[in-house]
Amino acid sequence: MTISLTVPDVLVARAKTGDLEALEALYRAFEAPVYNLARRMLRNAEDAEDVLQETFLEVVRNIGQYRGEGHLWGWIRQIAASKALMRIRREQVRETEVFDEATAAGHAGHNVGQALDLERAMQELSDTGRAVVWLHDVEGYTHEEIAEMMGKSVSFSKSQLARAHTKLRRTLGAGMEVG
Amino acid sequence: MMHCTMDDLLALQAGEASGWARKHLETCAVCRAELETLYQRVAQLKALPGLRAPRDRWPAVRAVVLAGRDRRRRVWSVGSLAAAAVLAGLLLVRPWGTDLEAQLVQAQQRSATLESTLQQVGGDGRVMSGREAALASALEDRIAAIDGQLAERQAKELEALNLWRQRADLMQQLVQVRVTRANYVGL
Repeated sequence: MTISLTVPDVLVARAKTGDLEALEALYRAFEAPVYNLARRMLRNAEDAEDVLQETFLEVVRNIGQYRGEGHLWGWIRQIAASKALMRIRREQVRETEVFDEATAAGHAGHNVGQALDLERAMQELSDTGRAVVWLHDVEGYTHEEIAEMMGKSVSFSKSQLARAHTKLRRTLGAGMEVG
Repeated sequence: MMHCTMDDLLALQAGEASGWARKHLETCAVCRAELETLYQRVAQLKALPGLRAPRDRWPAVRAVVLAGRDRRRRVWSVGSLAAAAVLAGLLLVRPWGTDLEAQLVQAQQRSATLESTLQQVGGDGRVMSGREAALASALEDRIAAIDGQLAERQAKELEALNLWRQRADLMQQLVQVRVTRANYVGL
């Protein structure tokens, strides 16, 4: 999903002063990409909606700190990604990723081949793996940036990406085994 | 024959592959196919349709924002009442001379009149411009701060007079902001 959103500077200026109409206009402009990012990173729609709400509450609270350096979408996206990653971390406290590994391994034994589409294959990844794939491959974050957001090392981000792609490849039934 | 690992393929994709991986790719059709599959998979990910939230979350965000503003207004109102109570006490005790007393009452009456005007103009949190909203918000904060000072301690006569005058001036500015807005929207 390519995002090329631009909003007038005057709208941002009004939003900075707390103008509700301007804030709503920002919400309407970025609602879809924020939700899409969260939904692609997270396992369920409810969590993605919560991230959408949390993201805009933070945007409203902190829009005054946005200095106009870089695209506004980049600033909002950073907030949304951080919120989604925080939610993943909270979930991991409750359920370890061992469960996800087992789920994925179970499916890998089936000859699902082309029957599973990419979206379903993504859903079968671990929460962390899915988030890293989306942030790196689609949103264009570097491993350094992902590592910083996750509070992990660069090698952690790289290994998560490799593991996730190995699983995707296996789930989607591509040719030979790699590695 | 040893093939590229997924790490190698991702490194090749990123242009950071080892010399071995780059050389191997030149001679191994299998790994070239794997790399092509990886490129295609990433392209397919990027091409996935955008998802939209099933429910509109703006009303919830707006409610939280307005609740925060209401909270600030309530603090202001409570402060205003407390300040009035302190003034009533001061008037009862009359710790100052008649001239100062008269000026204080005058400042307090001016402030009360302007406050009444402000209530008639109304303020539902919706403004025509962000600049007006920011100005009104800043004025409300300053008035609340003065009310706090009047409520927290029994101000000395001159200090009380100054505070009430400041309050009335700020209230005057606030009325101007609100009235300007009301006129602008044709109310």
